[in-house]
Amino acid sequence: MSAAPSTQDVVVIGGGVTGAGVARDLALRGVSVLLLEKNDWGAGTSGSSTWMIHGGLRYLEFDWETTRLSCEDAGHIVDIARHLVHRVLFLVPVLPDDANGIERIETVMEVYDRFQPLKHAHPHVRLTADEVRRIEPGLTSDVVGGVTVEEWGVDPHRLAWANVLDAVEHGARALNHARVTSLVHDGREVIGVRYVRDGTEVEARARVVVNATGPWAPEVAALAGQDIPLRPAKGIHVVYDRRLSNFVISTEAIDGRDILLVPHGPITILGTTDDDFFGDLDDVEVLGDEVDYLLQAMARVFPAIEHLRPVRATTGIRPTLYDWRPYEDRLSRRHELFQHPQAPGLITITGGKLSMYRLMAEETADAACRRLGVEARCRTAELPLPGSERDAPTAAELAREHGLTALAAANAIRRHGCRAEAALGEARHGRIACRCEHLAEAELANAARQEQARSLADAFRRVGLAAGPCAGAACVDRAAQVVGRELGWSASQQREAAREFLLGAWLGRSPLLERRGWAQEELAYAGRRGYGA
Amino acid sequence: MSRASALVRLGGAYARHELRRRLRRGPGSGAGRLLQLYGPDHLVPLTEAERDLLPAASACINCGLCALVAARVAGLRPADLAAAYLRDYPILPAAASDLVGEAPAAVMASAAAACPVGVPLEGVLAMIRRLTSA
Repeated sequence: MSAAPSTQDVVVIGGGVTGAGVARDLALRGVSVLLLEKNDWGAGTSGSSTWMIHGGLRYLEFDWETTRLSCEDAGHIVDIARHLVHRVLFLVPVLPDDANGIERIETVMEVYDRFQPLKHAHPHVRLTADEVRRIEPGLTSDVVGGVTVEEWGVDPHRLAWANVLDAVEHGARALNHARVTSLVHDGREVIGVRYVRDGTEVEARARVVVNATGPWAPEVAALAGQDIPLRPAKGIHVVYDRRLSNFVISTEAIDGRDILLVPHGPITILGTTDDDFFGDLDDVEVLGDEVDYLLQAMARVFPAIEHLRPVRATTGIRPTLYDWRPYEDRLSRRHELFQHPQAPGLITITGGKLSMYRLMAEETADAACRRLGVEARCRTAELPLPGSERDAPTAAELAREHGLTALAAANAIRRHGCRAEAALGEARHGRIACRCEHLAEAELANAARQEQARSLADAFRRVGLAAGPCAGAACVDRAAQVVGRELGWSASQQREAAREFLLGAWLGRSPLLERRGWAQEELAYAGRRGYGA
Repeated sequence: MSRASALVRLGGAYARHELRRRLRRGPGSGAGRLLQLYGPDHLVPLTEAERDLLPAASACINCGLCALVAARVAGLRPADLAAAYLRDYPILPAAASDLVGEAPAAVMASAAAACPVGVPLEGVLAMIRRLTSA
């Protein structure tokens, strides 16, 4: 089945935060855009990052200008996404046998302090051994001191969606679950794409096609006979059911790599690994050895980690630019724009990191505008993203208005900022759809109605459905009803959606069951009876 | 070239750091400074007792058996204490208005006794109360 072709100035392929940022940038310049994502917004590399907007502390060893640029752009993101970002304070404990003593580490932090004001962050603090242990009692007694350094945390799924939403509000069209199958050519020139959505093939013509597909960039570029040299690297994270600390704990793994334990909202993320990847980008598994590697590293400074409960593991592929010889974690995280003179009309942006997404989007939009003859300048560093336009209501006010608990209201504000009231709509019943996440039923319904959540996994990304300790065992059936009511699902479709979600969640949980997960799993199985799992 | 320049500048920064340390009288309270900077964001340390409580709190499977024994404690559904409230600590002050009313010891004890995985509900509630006002 095929539908009538559409025509626009630009088609952007890839709905990670970079592709969404490109669509937003172009839409703000008045360019007509179609954004296509084969899965869901932020579901690929963006969502499987460590959820950090950092300023590039590690670049101080290589190039201070890169640190300055990183901090400056992190500052822009903090300015435009106030409601989505939160301070993350690193506690860097120093052990007697560390390669760098506390004086060297503090020196680097002192230098970094010069750049911190660019991203509205506080300077470092030096702590004695007693102070470190008092601040974080879970740390080993071997600690001889510590220093702090501040970065920003962000939910990349919400960040990607906020960019999509702003693009749409400025005239773009954005379709998730729309897979590009081929490019349309006129001779060598690329003049559009063909994509499939809901079983229908559609042709979309454009003067520029942007390939912002991260690690999939070589596959898309190959559709135009172009080569993109990447060295993809796999990274896994282990996610814990709650904040294990209010501070980021940093340590070294057995091979000297930095490992972080990062609190984000109601969860904690332990990561990451960094290994060359040669397999299928759409079928990446978490291995038990990778989990062991992370736990061994963190247990060295934070023995309490062995007694805490991980609830899932995530994995993703970094689109690292190709370089022969260096170990994976020594590879540059820089990005590159490819203009493909042999396939005019196609632009590829790849490499880079979450912190630089806005700048990557700006450079890509500049290149597209040059081809289109558009002179409008980039405004993404100054215009707030949806939800950050003004102050949000207080949780108590919102709770009163909607008959909710203040916790559910505060969670809605964390995701929607000043638009939380609109996200909760007219509902006054105060029902909770997911008790662990304390997610209001009205907010879940809004995700399906207004935020393009087309499956329960999409709702997990958009509003945290089933992201908590019970992993959906207690809420998935009711959630399927709420989402299904909005999307017109039949009873059997609701049942199938719940089954599909639980099976998908199992893949992330199974490598962790040996680590205090069996009690939870038994409950999940009980909740899943009749799904045939 | 930029790498060499970066390393030279870091070397200079290290020399200045050492010099400053020798001239400085004595360190102030790093912990005090940290609380001053991050208190407004509610990024406060957990106590040792609270840290010890977390593994037991993490055992909650949100089965709801405690809620069958005690519908509400301190205004909250007891199953929500460990599964929902004791998760995102900096957000708790914004949720302070949820904690109303009493949590009689006898009620807490029977709710805790109903828990199949031994979540220490009294300790969990105490931790939530402290972090709500932190």
